[in-house]
Amino acid sequence: MSTLIIGQAGIATSVQDSGRAGTLQLGIPPSGAMDPYALVSGQHQLGHVHDEAALEMAYADLIARSTHDCHIVITGAPVTLAIDDQCLDPRKIHAIKAGQTLSIRATKIGIYSYLHISGGIATEPVFQSRSTSPREVIGGFEGRYLRDGDTLPIGPTHSRPSRDDPLLDLSPSPSTLTLRFVPGFQHDEFSPAAMSALLGTEFSVTPSANRMGVKLSRGGLHSGIESLLSEATCYGAIQIPPDGAPIVLLNDRQTVGGYPKPGAVISSDCARLAQARPGQKVRFVSCSAEEADRIQWLERHFVETRLQ
Amino acid sequence: MRLVFEADPAPELTRTLLAIQKSAQRHFQGTLTDSVIGYATLTLFFKPLQFQRDRVEAWLLDQVDLTKSDTHCDPPPAIILPVFYHPSVGPDLEWLADDKGLSVDDIIALHSGATYFAYATGFAPGFCYLGTLPSQLMAPRLATPRSKVPPGSVAIADLQTAVYPCESPGGWRLIGQCPQPLFNLRHTPANLLSVGDTVRFEPVSEADFYAMGGAR
Repeated sequence: MSTLIIGQAGIATSVQDSGRAGTLQLGIPPSGAMDPYALVSGQHQLGHVHDEAALEMAYADLIARSTHDCHIVITGAPVTLAIDDQCLDPRKIHAIKAGQTLSIRATKIGIYSYLHISGGIATEPVFQSRSTSPREVIGGFEGRYLRDGDTLPIGPTHSRPSRDDPLLDLSPSPSTLTLRFVPGFQHDEFSPAAMSALLGTEFSVTPSANRMGVKLSRGGLHSGIESLLSEATCYGAIQIPPDGAPIVLLNDRQTVGGYPKPGAVISSDCARLAQARPGQKVRFVSCSAEEADRIQWLERHFVETRLQ
Repeated sequence: MRLVFEADPAPELTRTLLAIQKSAQRHFQGTLTDSVIGYATLTLFFKPLQFQRDRVEAWLLDQVDLTKSDTHCDPPPAIILPVFYHPSVGPDLEWLADDKGLSVDDIIALHSGATYFAYATGFAPGFCYLGTLPSQLMAPRLATPRSKVPPGSVAIADLQTAVYPCESPGGWRLIGQCPQPLFNLRHTPANLLSVGDTVRFEPVSEADFYAMGGAR
């Protein structure tokens, strides 16, 4: 069987596809690529149509070797790429010969990069997805982040690479990233002071940012809500814990929670937030549910037409 | 889309939520991806772009009227969970007894004497929020959560009780350990407890605890 041998895994590399559905009631988060646009761009470039899994690398620092001839493409946060010590354009599709060594390193922009290999990473799906949920030890490769020396199965290649498509990269964040959010049902219970603090404060991304969520700096945002019964969380939910520093919940979030939530960040801004490094300034602006639907529709349309 | 009831949690409310959930799964088959019941909420997750806000909203409001009248049914037989109540596996057991002015045996009798209702699942695979704890046992969460709670730990917080299915951080008070696994991917369903179940705890000896596969 074709395999990919990991010489050096880097700090948080995991197998991810677009994530799983239908498991929230079981307490299993959806997981999936933190930058779904980067995932779909790479899948398309290699002609993948079955949600083939890629390697998601946070602050990429990967050395790997394929045991077979294959095509690769890297998407998401920009990286440098060397194949057998020869530097190559990291934004192009490359043909790799069996035994050649790939070396991928992060640059100074963004967090999550994706290594796609023709055929996809073929670990056993769990609840119809190969995405890794490390906390639950489910999916991907043994339910965990990769370690040096792991050997991953690669699926058979049914497709031909199409074409380079760098336009689907998420643009680098502007000086202040605007997070549009849809107010939720607890919004009205937040004190006016808390809401004006949420809308009027420039927050910044803290180092407590990972696949579960992104904690923002500046505490002191007191919701005025005493306690709350546990209820489902959603992608992008803005949680205000007792220390008053908002946390935006992302792919590996806990499926239920009891912290007050003034609303949820729209999905396309969640992907931008996921790619934002600690220190990135962010600001919240509210947006109606209808506007959020329209933005989502337009972004989907953009992706799908780019992909034809 | 979230349906919120402005009512206190109660088994009848949860049965209403279960009935609406079931009928939503039928009605929105193919577009509804997930539905999660909380203490007084039902949250529905739809496939993006296949979600018509107005239609779902109107349908949900209709359901509330339809299901209100007919949610009475006999509760299923209680699921019995064995528990080894002991300070060696329940580090807060003696603290709780002191705090409440009760003996450890009183605590065990109170906790295992009640029948609990499964209000919600989540937090971790197999975790199930059970209520209502006898009010004599009501205890606040730890100010600083433990970074590692061992799997199987039987815990209480406020008027709730639960078993931690896997090692995780946690701020609930630990009073014992349950040797019965709550989540197994090789089983269908993978989770032992579901919303709407009734649960009782049964004290077991240290020898039985180990014989049942318990581990410290």
